[in-house]
Amino acid sequence: MSNLPRNLPGNLSVGHVVEVLLWLLLAALLYAWSFDFDREIEIYKFGASAWPRVIILLIAIAAIGQLAHHFQFATPAQSAVDDNVSDDSFNESMDDSPRKHASIKWYLWTFFLLSLPFAYMLLPQWIAPWFSSELSAELSSESSSESSWSKAGLHAAKLTCAGVLIALYMATMRGNLVGAMLALPIFFGALMQDFGFYALAPFFAVGVMYLMGERRPGWIALVTAIIMGLMLMLFVSVLYVGLPTGNISPFYEIGTGVVNFLT
Amino acid sequence: METFHHFIGGTVALFSDPIGVFVFFGGVIGGMLFGAIPGVSMLTLAAILLPFTAHLSPEHGIMLFSVIYCTGVYGGAITAILFNIPGAPENAPTAFDGYPMTQKGEAGKAVGAAVMCSAIGGTISAVVMMVATAPIAGWAISAFGPPEIFALVFFGLAVASSVGAKTFWKGWLSVLAGLLVAVVGQDPVGGIERYDFNMPYLLAGIHFIPTILGFFAVSEIFIQAEKKAIGTYKAPKMSVDFPTLAELIAHKVAIVRSIIIGFFCGILPGIGATLAAFMGYNEAVRWSKNREEFGRGKLEGVISSETANNAATGAAMIPLLALGLPGGALTAMMVGVFQMHNMEPGPLVFINSPDLVWVVFAAMFFANLSILFIGYLETKTIINLLRIPFQFLAPLILLLATVGAYAVRGLSIDIIAMFVAGVIGFFLRRSGYSVAGIVLGLILGKIGEQTFAQAMQMLHFEWSGFANRPIAFGLLIAGFLTLLVSTYRAFSQKT
Repeated sequence: MSNLPRNLPGNLSVGHVVEVLLWLLLAALLYAWSFDFDREIEIYKFGASAWPRVIILLIAIAAIGQLAHHFQFATPAQSAVDDNVSDDSFNESMDDSPRKHASIKWYLWTFFLLSLPFAYMLLPQWIAPWFSSELSAELSSESSSESSWSKAGLHAAKLTCAGVLIALYMATMRGNLVGAMLALPIFFGALMQDFGFYALAPFFAVGVMYLMGERRPGWIALVTAIIMGLMLMLFVSVLYVGLPTGNISPFYEIGTGVVNFLT
Repeated sequence: METFHHFIGGTVALFSDPIGVFVFFGGVIGGMLFGAIPGVSMLTLAAILLPFTAHLSPEHGIMLFSVIYCTGVYGGAITAILFNIPGAPENAPTAFDGYPMTQKGEAGKAVGAAVMCSAIGGTISAVVMMVATAPIAGWAISAFGPPEIFALVFFGLAVASSVGAKTFWKGWLSVLAGLLVAVVGQDPVGGIERYDFNMPYLLAGIHFIPTILGFFAVSEIFIQAEKKAIGTYKAPKMSVDFPTLAELIAHKVAIVRSIIIGFFCGILPGIGATLAAFMGYNEAVRWSKNREEFGRGKLEGVISSETANNAATGAAMIPLLALGLPGGALTAMMVGVFQMHNMEPGPLVFINSPDLVWVVFAAMFFANLSILFIGYLETKTIINLLRIPFQFLAPLILLLATVGAYAVRGLSIDIIAMFVAGVIGFFLRRSGYSVAGIVLGLILGKIGEQTFAQAMQMLHFEWSGFANRPIAFGLLIAGFLTLLVSTYRAFSQKT
């Protein structure tokens, strides 16, 4: 937020005001939402909404208190973002800069990257009927039930969405490695139910190392192999922790194959 | 004298049973390792082991968890000091000075202080627990009801808001955000859905283990990733020098103060060792002549925090055994172990199962002592993790956290919740909020609302009913006074 004007009373900056407005907006939204469950409980006269509403009220008070504190004490140079972000000693060789991490552009870019895994969670269900009808038309000679068509359609939709969104992620992550790092684990989590831990984890490890600045392919491959070996030995062979195997072919087969091999 | 005889009886029962010995040492080593492995914690181990305790006797099951609790609280200090990744919230203040000590090349000294002070705090706490639990159990039956527990939670929240954040108001906003997260799911009286986004997963509320992993471990990786990206990351220096005895003796006042604070905080439900560690650290800062040195790698910071959190472990068993009230996440799992064996923790345990109680007490005493010996050896080896470049350690930490989050309930959505919490934690930490405050609010919020509802029903919705209960009234007054003093300070000082 550091690139915004700061013509505000007292020691306030735009960042301080935006921060408090976000809290107040959150409080207002949650208060409005609380009417959805504002129902009477026969044995409890305060009902289900009293406790959250008190918390919301206190949030609003604390947010205003925070604004008053900044008005009174903050120095003009102090922004709402922590000091470590405004450290000037950055390395020119990296394509991210500290100043970028406090700009509106950086926040919007990061928000876009973060939205990609959530898009994966929503999009396949919307486009799955189209894939089902396409598949059913192409392979109408084969005898299959409607549920199997819809399942196959959903899987095809998920594979397509995953491919497109990962491509979009890789195309837009350059220049915002921190935003990409924030989005990558959520992507990993979003894909796990369908693609399984065993198939995804090596790629995830490679991605994290790359985003943390490691560029030597040999080291990346070696460390990935060691990490996967340790994880599988400890959690699958020794502790028998059941991890997601996925449900889309061939990832499901990879997952179950690994588990069967190790147990 | 009678207590001593019981203790000897418990010790003999513990070490004369081969299965008991195996379970004890398994718990000691497992607690230390899971506490020390980045991304997982003693809670992960406890969650993994919980179903298996059905195959153990109640004595062994509860003893296993109590031993894991003692050594796990210490083990979490290792990652807090070496990587700024607290194994659990109670190790968070250890990182405040422990991690800067690592960056200064004093990791060995910081870890050594954690080993010694954890052992001292835990052992003394275990002794006090043996002496104090039985009398408290007798007194507590009549004195502690939902109004008192709610008042305790309120007092705990009032103190908790002052820890970890850059300003008083951000501390409160952090705690309130945690309380708000705790509201998600069904209300505790009527089961009415609140803020559930029509997602069945959210009906049971947001689980605190993925949240803790996200706010601490994952957000720390993001912060280190940012430092890497902007070029401000500094690899920690290696050292295995332990603190000298003279250095520890020089901090004797801090150690005694933290034992007292830790023990009394440990009794508070829902926060226990976490609040103990923060208050131990805060008081060390408050009483220090060189306050500005805290947060920059001061040994006293590590000593105060680690003594206090282990001193809370024995105390946390008092509300569990005397009242049936879990003092934290792990003691809550112990309730699960009790229930799996068709038992209810509470004062009747002392009458119906005295053997169980004294085996557990003896095990906790010896577990704390063993921290000194096994912890010393473990530290000499695990400190070598610092040699691994962080870009290689980060995927391992994230994958371990993934398994930890998933293992609790077997839900993929918990993994997403953890990483989302990590992203939120990253932005909140950048802005000076306290992730420890959020976690405290989350844990205390559920207990607080439930006991408030029970208290109000019990008092026929008359607020004045609190005034007729001296303990509840005293705690509420203490909580309000803490709030008033903190608010006054917030308006009169910069932080």
